[in-house]
Amino acid sequence: MAIRGTALQAVADVADDKAGGMLPSVHPDATPSRQSSPNRVRIIDATLACLALHGTSKTTVDDIARRASVSRATVYRVFPGGRDEVLGAVVDTEMARLFSALGVRLGEAGDLTEALVGGIVEASTRIRGHAALAYLVEHEPEMVLGHLAFDESDRLLATASRFTAPFLARWMSPMEAGRVAEWATRIVLSYAIAPSSQMDLTQPAQTAHLVKTFVLPGIRALHAADGPTAIDITPFEQGCGQPDRHAVGDAAHGRPTTPPDAHHQLSEYSNPVEQCKGATT
Amino acid sequence: MADTRQRILEATYTCVARWGLAKTSVEDAAREAKVSRATVYRVFPGGREELISAVVGWATLEFFIRLYEQVQGATSLEQVMERGIMFAHRSIVEDEVLQRVMQTEPEKLLPTLTFESIRIRQGIAEFLVPYLEQRGVAQGVNLKEAADFLARMVLSYMSAPGRWDLDDPDQVAQLVRAELLAGVVAGPGQVAGPDH
Repeated sequence: MAIRGTALQAVADVADDKAGGMLPSVHPDATPSRQSSPNRVRIIDATLACLALHGTSKTTVDDIARRASVSRATVYRVFPGGRDEVLGAVVDTEMARLFSALGVRLGEAGDLTEALVGGIVEASTRIRGHAALAYLVEHEPEMVLGHLAFDESDRLLATASRFTAPFLARWMSPMEAGRVAEWATRIVLSYAIAPSSQMDLTQPAQTAHLVKTFVLPGIRALHAADGPTAIDITPFEQGCGQPDRHAVGDAAHGRPTTPPDAHHQLSEYSNPVEQCKGATT
Repeated sequence: MADTRQRILEATYTCVARWGLAKTSVEDAAREAKVSRATVYRVFPGGREELISAVVGWATLEFFIRLYEQVQGATSLEQVMERGIMFAHRSIVEDEVLQRVMQTEPEKLLPTLTFESIRIRQGIAEFLVPYLEQRGVAQGVNLKEAADFLARMVLSYMSAPGRWDLDDPDQVAQLVRAELLAGVVAGPGQVAGPDH
């Protein structure tokens, strides 16, 4: 279990960088404190391909070197810790790539519904389509599940929601954004661990249904319980949840769009304060 | 046969509590249950592996029986969920065997527990259906879909409370009434305090 800890810590460190209010720029091959080189990315991508075919236990440094078309010595020069260090770097990189894509998606969203639907679809699609992850879940579940239960799950929730909350804070208070970000993460994880035959969160229309039915009313109620700041929940526009592959591809080349300062505009669809006033009295 | 099975499972649980999952053998379980090895193999033909899976399933079921008893007297959907979440959270935190196994050999426990969680989720969803029917779901909400969603969320909070303090009745009331039920139940969102 060499992967445990190091990987999530690295992501947590990335998330910490934005503590000063700066928005995160998670650049897949530019993790600051680490050596960045074409070989590094090549080795990581080769390892991903090996993992998708053979998992961790049967992937050797030789396999990785061969697939990356580099020498064994090169692998050890870039990753002196050998196989375990490469595996740790793979998890770090994949998490960073996921967050990078999420950042783009959330940054581009025009309203809260779009952000929630887009973010959930993006994360679910990437998790579902991840060949190496799929192999591990099938053949070495213990490598993955450790991150998804109890204390480790709490860490994952904290990391993911710390990263996504600032994007949601465009429409609500930071405290509410933290809760909603954590909630959305729970939803993604639940349906990723145990897919539902009725609810496929890689599908924008189904995700929009879930968000509108269960999540938005919850956000309004949370908000009514918390305080008087308005939340802008403009209606979900047709098509806005469609994955934009072009934009996702740009994730590796540019910074995520920086959300504008929080401006609270009430649309007639969402007047949480007015809607909930009656309920509380 | 049922009695023997129960006895072997209880004995196995005692062994796991003492030595952990990896070090519990069929011999240990047999000795603790005061039965022969052959008897253990007769009840669990798959041997150690089957025994370990069975004990995880058994302990999980025991936990849900206690949870079920805890929420039995509840009069409303809100109360069922509040009591259930608080009790489940406490039980997990205070379960020394679970906590120790999670610390020392999570890789042995989690695959089985994740498999169990599918059964658990269905159980929670089925349990919630009559309460949802009684309470009335909001327009356009599918009862089964809502029950499944709530069961997923209950499991998620039980396993990892995140930024919620699940020992605080006020916070749990807010979590249940605002975050979980606002979209599900009929009528205006419930944001009042907990039932006292």
